[in-house]
Amino acid sequence: MRPDPGGASDALLDRARRGDARAFEQLALEIERPLYRHAARMLGHDDAEDAVQDALLSAWKSLASFEGTSFRAWVFRIVTNRALDKLRARKRRPELPLDPPTESDDSAAWAEPTAPGPELADLAADREALRVVEEALATLPAEQRAVLLLRDVEGFAYEEIATITSTEVGTVKSRIHRGRLAVRNILVSRGWKGSAG
Amino acid sequence: MHPFGDLSAYLDEALSSEDRTSVQAHLDTCGLCRTRLAELRGTARLIAALPMPVPSRSLVPRVSVPIWLAPLRTFSTFASGAAIFLFIASAILTTFPRAVGTSAGSAAAPAPNTVSAPQASGGAVADSATSDPAKFQASAPSPAPSPATSQERSIQGSSPTPPDASQVGRQDVQPSSSTALAVDGRAQASRNEPGLFVLLSPWLWLALGLLFAALSFIVSRRLRST
Repeated sequence: MRPDPGGASDALLDRARRGDARAFEQLALEIERPLYRHAARMLGHDDAEDAVQDALLSAWKSLASFEGTSFRAWVFRIVTNRALDKLRARKRRPELPLDPPTESDDSAAWAEPTAPGPELADLAADREALRVVEEALATLPAEQRAVLLLRDVEGFAYEEIATITSTEVGTVKSRIHRGRLAVRNILVSRGWKGSAG
Repeated sequence: MHPFGDLSAYLDEALSSEDRTSVQAHLDTCGLCRTRLAELRGTARLIAALPMPVPSRSLVPRVSVPIWLAPLRTFSTFASGAAIFLFIASAILTTFPRAVGTSAGSAAAPAPNTVSAPQASGGAVADSATSDPAKFQASAPSPAPSPATSQERSIQGSSPTPPDASQVGRQDVQPSSSTALAVDGRAQASRNEPGLFVLLSPWLWLALGLLFAALSFIVSRRLRST
């Protein structure tokens, strides 16, 4: 579990809540890059910058009403909601729901390798594998992609992700598993052996 | 039955202790589930290893900066540029008529210096006026002929001829004289319109230009600082 930078900045958060603008800016600066990373993988570069800036400004304006303990999770919630709203507004694939129903997790298909290839566990530094992963993430339903990024990239706990996305922990668990399985299947379909033996 | 649906949560240590124990027991006996678990772990590591995108600009809103600071920076920048322009323009305007008068060899050329005589009413002002072009010439090049040279000529022409003072006195009485205007517009302005003379002073605009430039620099640094 990754440490929560927001939790380590309680003093700054207290000052920001009392209206200290510089304390807020320092807090925001600590999570600016991760916020942008998350938004960029949800929305793409241009919309991500606007979404993060709007979310941080919104956070500053409503900071007095924030009663939680994790500033980071709270701002990620704002950014994630804005990203999902923007994706809904785009209506690029209006015929597809953001998170279409699938088979139960136990019976979800596991694609088999079609050709020999390097093992997934050894591919962390492989640029080609990372490119395939990015493509695979882009094909995921938006809400599935959001929870997978919040877990695997940002390191949030399932309970935090449930709060951020306003869903049940069971839904988070299901979406994370289905998202990982979808990425794994695309990697395997591109020729990766996909097995650690 | 394989607990495929719990493998990701097992990997993330998000299962209850009871479920975790159950999955662990299954993994001990099932090679397929161990393989699937390794695949999911590898996939999660790849997702975590994605390159970090970097924003092209700062995304942190400057809430600690007063809202009027950015317009102030814009204003001071433009004001600085305008003042520098006026500095150059006024310097040329105050230098050029003297050069014309000198090159024409006018008999009235000594006028400014005689005005600076103690008995002249606007002597102090005229003194500063005659010294301006020399100072400006020392600090910045001008397309006009050297004011220092013209001053020397003026001094040479005026010092041995006290009657010129009375001639200048007559010019004071007749400010509409085209000769006097051509010789030294500043001297006329200093006597008839002191406000206009101040506006024509290059040093006023240079000081304002530097002042606004300094203000713009300070405000810009304030806006950049975090």
